[in-house]
Amino acid sequence: MRVSILVLAVLVAAAPPAHAKGTGLIFVSNEKTNNLTIIDPKTYQVVRDLKVCRRPRDMHFNADHTKLYVACGDDDVIDIVDVAKLEVVGKLATGPSPETFALDEKRGRIYVANEEGSSLSIIDIAQNIIVHEVPTGAEPEGVLMSEDGKTLYVTSEVGDLVHLVDAEGGHVTQDVVVGTRPRRFAATPDGKELWVTCELSGEVYIIDRTSFAVASKIEFLPPGMHKTDVTPVGLAMTRDGKTAYVTLGHASHVAAVDVPTRKIQGYILVGKRSWGITLSRDESKLYVANGFGDDITVIDARSRKAIVSIPVGRIPWGVVIDD
Amino acid sequence: MISRGYGRSRVRVLWRRLRATCASVMVTVVGGAALAQGPSPPPQPRVTIGYVEIAGDPRYEPITSYGRMVLKSRERPFAGAQLGLDDAQALARVLKIEFALERITVASAAELAGAVTKARDAGVHFFIVDAPAAALELLAGAVRGRDILVFNATASDDTLRRNLCVAEFVHTLPSMAMGMDALMQYLVSRKWTNLLAFEGPLPADATMTKAFENSAKKFGARIVARQQFKPGTDPREREKNDPALLSAINRDYDVVFVADHSFDFARQVPYHTVRARPVVGSIDLEPVAWHWTWEHHGAPQVNSRFQKLPGGRHMEGADWAAWIAVKMMAQATLRTRSVDFDKQRKFMLEEGSFDGDKGLAVSVRPWDHQLRQSVLLAAPYSVVARAPVEGFLHKTNELDTLGDDEPETPCRLNK
Repeated sequence: MRVSILVLAVLVAAAPPAHAKGTGLIFVSNEKTNNLTIIDPKTYQVVRDLKVCRRPRDMHFNADHTKLYVACGDDDVIDIVDVAKLEVVGKLATGPSPETFALDEKRGRIYVANEEGSSLSIIDIAQNIIVHEVPTGAEPEGVLMSEDGKTLYVTSEVGDLVHLVDAEGGHVTQDVVVGTRPRRFAATPDGKELWVTCELSGEVYIIDRTSFAVASKIEFLPPGMHKTDVTPVGLAMTRDGKTAYVTLGHASHVAAVDVPTRKIQGYILVGKRSWGITLSRDESKLYVANGFGDDITVIDARSRKAIVSIPVGRIPWGVVIDD
Repeated sequence: MISRGYGRSRVRVLWRRLRATCASVMVTVVGGAALAQGPSPPPQPRVTIGYVEIAGDPRYEPITSYGRMVLKSRERPFAGAQLGLDDAQALARVLKIEFALERITVASAAELAGAVTKARDAGVHFFIVDAPAAALELLAGAVRGRDILVFNATASDDTLRRNLCVAEFVHTLPSMAMGMDALMQYLVSRKWTNLLAFEGPLPADATMTKAFENSAKKFGARIVARQQFKPGTDPREREKNDPALLSAINRDYDVVFVADHSFDFARQVPYHTVRARPVVGSIDLEPVAWHWTWEHHGAPQVNSRFQKLPGGRHMEGADWAAWIAVKMMAQATLRTRSVDFDKQRKFMLEEGSFDGDKGLAVSVRPWDHQLRQSVLLAAPYSVVARAPVEGFLHKTNELDTLGDDEPETPCRLNK
């Protein structure tokens, strides 16, 4: 018995890591303490408290994970963090109150929703200038770039709309009406569907990307919760397109949804006002930011059980993993 | 570089005086972008909401103190309606329906009914009526049974909801009972249940104190004494005008409640009580529909957009109540995909729930047409709590723990 465990341990140690550079570090943006809490994935200890611009929210790595971009709502900038040094090494100016963004390295562009500007800024990274300002409905939030980088999907929280934006031309080409207060996106890997969380109506809307029309919607109600507390915001989907995880905000649960049948498979208890959600690269773990709990919940994706919650800064917004 | 914009910056404001058929009525129209752009815009269906106000409404006179020091400037909530219209512009473009806001100013309460009926004849069904309760009572007769919906965004009087009970009214401002229930839930949640009440000389002060008493009864708190104050500095009446003497009673209390619509007495209560006790009601901890420091549920964005409007100031409760009325109209148009008044009315009153940026979705109570909503308990620089306070439960909707629940009101619009 002991021998077999040893053998297994040796095998695991010998196996080359999938991504050699990945430190596995967990990055959490905290809206109220203006910092990133950086956590060791094995010990769950905080290894660094990195001061960044004010009200950090959405974060994205570049392709080789050397840089982390962090959008800051109260400073109207995106900070650039050197992932190896864990230092802020630069910043990009945005429109008023950037919230979420998409990164297109091929074109050297960032598309960022300016929550207070009712616009989407298209930023040229190399020149550090805003090359287009696309007017949207009030409070744009979720930004998703199509696989070919030609199209963007943007939600307007106040307009109850999803805009289809021509990334090159920088203008809205179509709109579709969804539920109340649409927030964030996930696209199915087959490129056919767009999933959108609608916070106030407590639903996920499913948009057919070909016709750009609403195909279906999913309503949530974890046992023992009030319908009015169900406020879906975050979305994560597995690479095989089979499972989606939806954070339910004030209902303090994550819903697991079978994507093909659109059936809810179960609910996982997390912390208060869960928003940001991220899957680890091997899809074994889920990380959920609990905005009103000042902590994150780590979930074992297979057993669908919360493993641990880790205290972070105040009002954690999102989580990304350097894996 | 902006291509074919329709954002707020592009919304033009048109000022248009109507022909002076009625000299005392001035009408201004704030239209959508489509109205102002292009040489000959294609005819689009339009949904208009009227904003009706009374010139010289004393509720908007600034509250001043000695030496004309302005304590409260008190602005009309028209800016709230304007923000609602701005927010609806993206929808207008998608729906190919134009939303418009028409400001109608009348000279007196007696002219309210005439102005509303006249605008109705010109095709307007929705009205935000910015008028006190007495004027709304005068208006009631003219709108009963008509295809009109009046949003009451400024009068909190319970009597409008309970006794007047008009199907054509929707009260978007929380009622006095809702405000007092919200305050009481918070006090009870802190176990501050022994209460000293100071009641001012105005009828509104008495109504507020009575509502506070009712809430105390409802949530199990106790009014240990109800003291009538008389504002002034007359030394012969110091027992009535000095907060220290008024609060020097034999029994202990946890909190001092003050009902003072004139405000000059209320502002002198904090730090002048004999015992070191917090003050609530007309000052320090006030139940409000909205507050400029509310930072959840997208509120900072609403506050920021409001502040950027001309005359930029802090958004207040009545501004929110006017804003949500326009939002309800836009949502009814969106969700019914129609400009048909009956469909829109049905949606607003029976089906719709709306995002008020204060948590639980707001909706209209079928029995008295009060908009059920959270109430914020605001200190000058922070929102201390949002009611319904955690732990106050209701069998269908927690919001109905505030104000008149169905069995508690004589108004039966749903029966």
